[in-house]
Amino acid sequence: MFENIPILSLLILFPLLGAIAAFMLGRSPKAAKYVALVFSAIPLALVTLMLTEFSLSGGFQFVENYEWISFLGINFHLGIDGVSVTMVFLSTLLVFLAILFSWDVEERLNQYMGLMLLLEVGILGVFTALDYFVFYIFWEVVLIPMYFLIAIWGGMNRAYASIKFFIYTHVASLAMLLGIFALYFTTAPLLKADGLIPVDAIGTFDMQLIARVAGDGLGHMLQIAIFGALFFGFIVKMPVVPFHTWLPDAHVQAPTAGSVLLAGLLLKMGSYGIIRICLPTLPDAAVDFQLIMAVIGVVSIIYGAFACLAQSDLKKMVAYSSISHMGIVMLGIATLSQLGIAAAVFQMFAHGLITAVLFMVCGMFQHKAGTREIPLLGGLAPKVPILATVMMMGFMASLGLPGMVGFLAEFMVFTSTFDTWGVWVLVPIATVALTAAYYLWAMQRSIFGELTTKIDTKHMHDAYWFEILPLAVLLGLIVLFGVWPAFALDLITPSIPSVWPLNGVI
Amino acid sequence: MFDYGAIYPEIILILFAVAIPALHLLLKSSRALAGISLVGVAASAGMVVYYLLNGYPGMIGSENSPLIVFDALAAVFSLVFLSVAFVAILASARYVENDRHLAEYFTLILMATAGMMLVASAQDLLTIYIGIEIASMATYALVAFRKRDKRGSEAAVKYVIIGGLSSALSLYGISLLFGVTGTTSLVGINEALAAQGIDLATILSVGLLIAGFGFKIAIAPFHMWAPDVYEGAPTPVSAFLAAASKKMGLVVMFKVFIVGLIAIKADWDIVVGVVAILTMTIGNVIALSQTNIKRMLAYSSIAQAGYMLMALPLATVVGDFAITAGIFHIITHAFMKSGAFIVVAALAYVAIGESVADYKGLAKRAPFMAFSMAIFMFALAGIPPLSGFMSKVVLLSASVQAAEITQWMLWLGVALVLNSALSLYYYVRVIKYMYVEKGESTAKIKVPVSLTVAIAVCMVATIVLGLFFDPVLDLCSEAARTLFPAMA
Repeated sequence: MFENIPILSLLILFPLLGAIAAFMLGRSPKAAKYVALVFSAIPLALVTLMLTEFSLSGGFQFVENYEWISFLGINFHLGIDGVSVTMVFLSTLLVFLAILFSWDVEERLNQYMGLMLLLEVGILGVFTALDYFVFYIFWEVVLIPMYFLIAIWGGMNRAYASIKFFIYTHVASLAMLLGIFALYFTTAPLLKADGLIPVDAIGTFDMQLIARVAGDGLGHMLQIAIFGALFFGFIVKMPVVPFHTWLPDAHVQAPTAGSVLLAGLLLKMGSYGIIRICLPTLPDAAVDFQLIMAVIGVVSIIYGAFACLAQSDLKKMVAYSSISHMGIVMLGIATLSQLGIAAAVFQMFAHGLITAVLFMVCGMFQHKAGTREIPLLGGLAPKVPILATVMMMGFMASLGLPGMVGFLAEFMVFTSTFDTWGVWVLVPIATVALTAAYYLWAMQRSIFGELTTKIDTKHMHDAYWFEILPLAVLLGLIVLFGVWPAFALDLITPSIPSVWPLNGVI
Repeated sequence: MFDYGAIYPEIILILFAVAIPALHLLLKSSRALAGISLVGVAASAGMVVYYLLNGYPGMIGSENSPLIVFDALAAVFSLVFLSVAFVAILASARYVENDRHLAEYFTLILMATAGMMLVASAQDLLTIYIGIEIASMATYALVAFRKRDKRGSEAAVKYVIIGGLSSALSLYGISLLFGVTGTTSLVGINEALAAQGIDLATILSVGLLIAGFGFKIAIAPFHMWAPDVYEGAPTPVSAFLAAASKKMGLVVMFKVFIVGLIAIKADWDIVVGVVAILTMTIGNVIALSQTNIKRMLAYSSIAQAGYMLMALPLATVVGDFAITAGIFHIITHAFMKSGAFIVVAALAYVAIGESVADYKGLAKRAPFMAFSMAIFMFALAGIPPLSGFMSKVVLLSASVQAAEITQWMLWLGVALVLNSALSLYYYVRVIKYMYVEKGESTAKIKVPVSLTVAIAVCMVATIVLGLFFDPVLDLCSEAARTLFPAMA
């Protein structure tokens, strides 16, 4: 069906066209809203169509490879496997729902919609790129729309938060860039010796070619150094402790849809980078980093959970819970096993769905109650029953209630942790109780108990249609994948090699 | 050999430069004179392009001591100087329209450009010196153009004094080098130094050359004059200085150090490396605290010169690839920096101040100005997929490649990376003021068409050079190889 169609390029092109169209619709911002909705629906439809054609045998599909800058050996090389297609599906879905959820934005509406679509361009590029250079460009392209989304539509302290986000993640990307160049130059002679690139070329940025020779050909110390540079770039984005401090600021200040995409997709770029690049390309170094990854994973899980307990701002609490949950992803990756990494990817997918619900809930509280401070809320369930129900379901999903997608992902990560480290798994598992504690406690104080008198509740309006619709879709998927995880796992698992440490297979 | 063809592009410019004051007697309109100057620039560029496509002319001088050779390097730099002159003239048409001396203004720009082009094709220390002086004399007068303006006059006096000092230092260095080697030809100097090694006089002369040319390029610690001069000069002239005059100093450095002093590279590579790191760091750190946008752009130019200078020590290891990177960054910087200055000029023309805070809410008042300024700022900070990112990436890759052989050179790359991160703050601050902050006034601003066109040219170049730069890189590479005759 898609034989001769550059489907992945189209996937990136449509949001780009939509973004340009939205920016040009300055005179009729209302129209920009519909344009954005249509142009974000097209990629979602395309991905869904692709999924019907997707082969479950692993390996890259829908590959496109065009020469771009031959002087440096840069190709516009795209392709997806089970890991990336999961992320691509999540991206198109969340952007579409986030645009729908922003239906009542009024300030500079057309620019807002344009930036959302531009963000989608960058994110889809990151998840489909198979060339380091293309990957890096899309990686950086993501920063700009997110910076503006926070800086223009953010909360009181938006200027500080946006620039902190920008500089923090930009510094990390630059370290990554150094690592990419080190790979580029050190693999060039190896590739020439094997006849994979012409003798007079400077090198190549192709991920697959580099992965083929890097594992065997590069010295151990060199592998560790390059792994370190790339890894640093990725974990700041994830983020894990101790590089997480930009996240609470950025989240609290960002507009709701911005938070949804930030937590749902941007954080996943970091863990995706580790899985796509670090592990297969530098397998020896991955083994050396295994313990470091496990430790920072567990520290993030525990630190995030404790930080959640201390928050009085609902949104800040959800932000810290992201750190905790990305710690679980890190732990899954650290097991260096097929089960663990598949679980990590599944957890990325699950967290994307769940955190979107949570941030939407926070946004609705801000909107309807005028505050997100938990001590000011209380007893709101009868006033806003839909919102309260959604909040409860979201919290339950996030704390890992069986039958919902989060439970299965966490369970798989912990199983694989037990395979690797035995009873040490009890340390992160103990935090699950903490997670339950902060969610239940927050819920008890905000929607149950006596109706608050600290804020005006007379004119509170329950959820609107454009809020209910995305939430219903998300909750439906959370339950669907919770009950039938094979849907996603059959896609993901074949793309992750079963033998570890692996060598040269990307 | 004596082929005048080698200086046809300069001759064309000088003919126009001489004709314009005469034409001023007939034509009073600044637009007409600007138009004629643009025709001159275009004709000269046409000549350069003709040479690029149909082969280069013969040289002036002899095989053993060439004086002027119009090669790929000269062609590339001539095109950079001519492009900057083109947008500067375009931006100046309205700026000088009420001035009695407007003809002289265009003459001076054309003369300065001709001098810079001469430097790009010169192969001998003396022809280089003559070219520098032609360009400098013209730019001194350009800075002083608004002679009743106190800031402008102060800037001009500073510029003349520092320029004189710089000329004296480099001339003294040249004479010492002549004393040691018995020749002023770059090739000859290199051969002599390779044969006789290095002594105190050589070290002194190299030091004097670094200082002399360093003042021209405004590299640390010889950079103090630049912010004052850029701030005081008419803004289109600031653009011309930052985007063209500075590049002339860099091409001189490339020529003198790679062609003339490569034999003693072990004695200068680390010095130039340290100067490059110092320059980029000082430029960026001081730029952080600037509130006047012209001063900020001046310090950013200093920092960018540090990036370009990186190419020199790297070239001692990886050869023409490093110079390719340097030239490519020079090209991209020429467009993004002149674009930024011209936006400032355009806004000053409609009475918007030069403080960063004056740009509050600009996105509403002048969407095109704000958008193009944002593009220039992102490009200068090195955000993909804009040209500034691509050229920094090539520089960084040269540094990583050099580090495989000479390890300390990785620090040049690391410094580039850290400085890029640092610079992001002050570039993004401008964008923040334009897009995020709300201004007191929301009245639309109307900018003259000629300025808008000049900005559009720079913006298109900044975007296109970031996406489709393969042919440009090939050209840079060809130009860089002319400095390494063994590899050509």
